[in-house]
Amino acid sequence: MEKSKIIETTKEFLSVEFEIDKEKILPENNLRETLELDSLDYVDLVVVIEENFGLKFNGEDFVKVVTFDDFYNLVEEKLAQKK
Amino acid sequence: MLLTEENIESVIPQRNPFVMVSDLIEATPLKFESEFFVRAENIFVKNGILQEAALIENIAQTCAAGFGFLNKQAGIKPSVGFIGAITKLKVHHLPPVNSQIKTTAIVAHQLENVYLIKGQNFLDGKILLECELKIVVT
Repeated sequence: MEKSKIIETTKEFLSVEFEIDKEKILPENNLRETLELDSLDYVDLVVVIEENFGLKFNGEDFVKVVTFDDFYNLVEEKLAQKK
Repeated sequence: MLLTEENIESVIPQRNPFVMVSDLIEATPLKFESEFFVRAENIFVKNGILQEAALIENIAQTCAAGFGFLNKQAGIKPSVGFIGAITKLKVHHLPPVNSQIKTTAIVAHQLENVYLIKGQNFLDGKILLECELKIVVT
């Protein structure tokens, strides 16, 4: 999947799941702060990631993710590994 | 039947009058199933009907019993868990006293020590309540 498609898909499901404007989902923005995630919300994030990309994320994955761009890169990497 | 009313308290922390599960029918890492007989003296019975809070607690205790049973089988000390969040709650019907409800709890996702549970209670095959619980196990 192209990175632009990953970004478009992510913006779509995150804006619905976390009730946030798509405009706030910018590559350089902090994912946790923008989505106002607490520790329980990460489970919801894992669910929507699996539903939309067919990828399983674990706690360790989120340690590497600070910005949305980190997230897009990780999704791209995991999708490539899946092939 | 894995556990009955006589020994279910060996795997859950709740005690009467707050025990909302009678028998543990099935326990696998991905699914728990229980039964619960609604007595007239249940603290959540109002005008002969068991209230929705008890059905939610029943789902949570089904998980507690399931996790507790699996831990006991594996020789692991029982963990302490609590409900972190309740979402997607739908109340369809409430059961009357003297009914035997059946409950299923599916472990849909797990992230570290947080479990996302999809729970449903049934009476004679008819759904009573469904919800998702986030259970934090410490």
